Amino acid sequence: MKNTLLALLAASVSFLLMSHAAEAHHGWSEFDTNREVTFEATVTDFHFVNPHCVVEFDVKDENGKIHKWQGEFSNPGQLSRQGWTAASLEAGDKFTITGNPAKNNAPAIHVARIRMPNGQEVKVDGGR
Amino acid sequence: MSRIGSLRRLAVSLAVCALLAGNVSGQSNPELSQAQESLHKVATTETAGALHEEGVPVTDPLVIAKCGSCHARDDKGNMERISWARTTPEGWQNALKRMILVKGVSLTAQEGRLIARYLSTYHGLAPEEGVPVRHIAERRIHEESNIADSDPGKACAKCHALALTLSWRRSLEDWKQFVELHSARYMFSPNAEIVAYLARVAPLHSPEWEAWSARTNLPNLAGRWLVIASMPGHGKYYGEMQVDRAGDDEFTTRANLTSVRDGSRTLRTGRSVVYGDYAWRGRSKGGEPASSAPDDRSSEAREVLWIAPDHSRAEGRWFWGQYQEFGFDVQLQRASSNTTLLAIDRVSLKAGSRANRVHLIGDNFPAQVAPRDLDFGPGTIVRGIVSSTSADIVAEVDVAADAPLGKHGVAFRRSVLPGAIAVYDRIDYVKVTPESAVAAFSDSTHPRGYLQFEAIGYQRGADGKLHTADDVELGPVDVTWSFQVFHAPEGSSADFVGRVSASGLFMPASENPNRNFDVWVIATARDENDQNGLALVGKSYLVVTIPTYVFNGRKYVRDLDRWVDDGPA
Repeated sequence: MKNTLLALLAASVSFLLMSHAAEAHHGWSEFDTNREVTFEATVTDFHFVNPHCVVEFDVKDENGKIHKWQGEFSNPGQLSRQGWTAASLEAGDKFTITGNPAKNNAPAIHVARIRMPNGQEVKVDGGR
Repeated sequence: MSRIGSLRRLAVSLAVCALLAGNVSGQSNPELSQAQESLHKVATTETAGALHEEGVPVTDPLVIAKCGSCHARDDKGNMERISWARTTPEGWQNALKRMILVKGVSLTAQEGRLIARYLSTYHGLAPEEGVPVRHIAERRIHEESNIADSDPGKACAKCHALALTLSWRRSLEDWKQFVELHSARYMFSPNAEIVAYLARVAPLHSPEWEAWSARTNLPNLAGRWLVIASMPGHGKYYGEMQVDRAGDDEFTTRANLTSVRDGSRTLRTGRSVVYGDYAWRGRSKGGEPASSAPDDRSSEAREVLWIAPDHSRAEGRWFWGQYQEFGFDVQLQRASSNTTLLAIDRVSLKAGSRANRVHLIGDNFPAQVAPRDLDFGPGTIVRGIVSSTSADIVAEVDVAADAPLGKHGVAFRRSVLPGAIAVYDRIDYVKVTPESAVAAFSDSTHPRGYLQFEAIGYQRGADGKLHTADDVELGPVDVTWSFQVFHAPEGSSADFVGRVSASGLFMPASENPNRNFDVWVIATARDENDQNGLALVGKSYLVVTIPTYVFNGRKYVRDLDRWVDDGPA
């Protein structure tokens, strides 16, 4: 019985370590959930990959200067269950993208919703 | 196994589970309690109704002697739990390691090997059952992104690959016991749906197993085999492997491989054991001492091969590295007296191109070869034969500007390689493979975890869209490599993450900063541009992280626990 309990305890600790490791890449706390920013933008690339799907996009400012941004989503498994595929966004697509900006002022957002090229508004990540 | 006994065990398991859950979270978990109640109901109703499944009797005296004190044996020779489960050699190895760790079983190295061998051979998977879970033993990056929300297997995939679960086959009753114990150990919500799902998709008895378990022959693999191999970052290799019998199910090997890229040769010698007549597990090393380069192809490697039931071909991986990140993908075909076309050195030919030199690699090519012996599909013309030997033909091929785009078969007389070459008009995009991966820093006890990247060109398929299933792979693209850190923990420096070599090998820094970094590994094509005239760029999402301190299959209880991983003694 003692051995069994020790094994269960060891297994529980392993599980907790494993759970931690599974989320070790980075968390969403680096994005400011109290703020939202919206861009009219042009897709330059879309990565439908683990651990996070990422869309890269160009934003043109009032002086015509191009700024490069990237928006991060959850993983492909979660997005695919919402109907996304690797071809959902293509380079050259014009879209409106809204999300929480990075706290460190990096040109990155955690994507909350997108108005797709066909005009359809899509919420993503299910509120993460 | 009585129903009351089963319920008693369930009650104890759930009590421990609840105790652990309460201790960890400090509060009750209504969801878990509800699920446990659901399983409890199933245990009451389904067990009563379920048909008793015949076990797989254990006949090996050593297994009976070593396992019999806990796993009672009935008058049919069935041993508790053992007779109602089947799995891969690695699955049995892990089960034995758990028995040593948890139950205090004592085994010598030889006993461990013999027990693992018996169970893997007579309580293993049929070859067809082994195919979907091969990637686990072959230590491949494999993403399970297609598990639907409604799939009960999603519960497994939350913590580990679903394939790990499905590498076991059990009776309904044994799946039930497994889920009970597993839920207590790992505090997930057990439910009847998971049990029913597992019993349906991974049953103890299957037509494949019934057919396979009736076999009587020993594996007959001795002889000459033709080998085609590829190593990420190094390209294709071809050659042959002589296999000689060294015991009932043990073999020695001698493989000569030649690089298609530069003609250099590698000799590898090894020793392997074959479980269940098809699961090849062994070790081999190069004839020359391996250099300090982590990807040295002479490195000592583990060999995992799946051998076709008719013993005519085999495929798998020979791998090494702290995270098994280096290796050859290999395909073997038993040599015969027939002319055999094995591979070609090119993946693609451009429409409108002329005098493309293509190497055809094979066996028993005739002394006289004419252009009419070769066929590269519609829109292509074989202009001439540059050279030929019994193993290699060099041909010059023209491709018409209007040749049909897409995959073409290549044939030498009646020996055909379906879809061996792609005809393309332009490279539409570059994909960096693997598309996402993990590399690891090192510390005083853990070597670095490297990652070899490749830049592969793609053309849109028939649907005209990029990044869809019908896109056509065109092979490696000449690129320059760089990387960019895009997520670094606050206050950390990204200067010491690592570097990527000219051949696409990412080498993490040797010092472990105890932090994680998200990195783009970027391939920029030297000669291929997009429609705006800009160089094609591909990226892979790499997480550079701390060493893996607990790694299934690498953290051994003690040295003798590597019976399967080490190959034969």
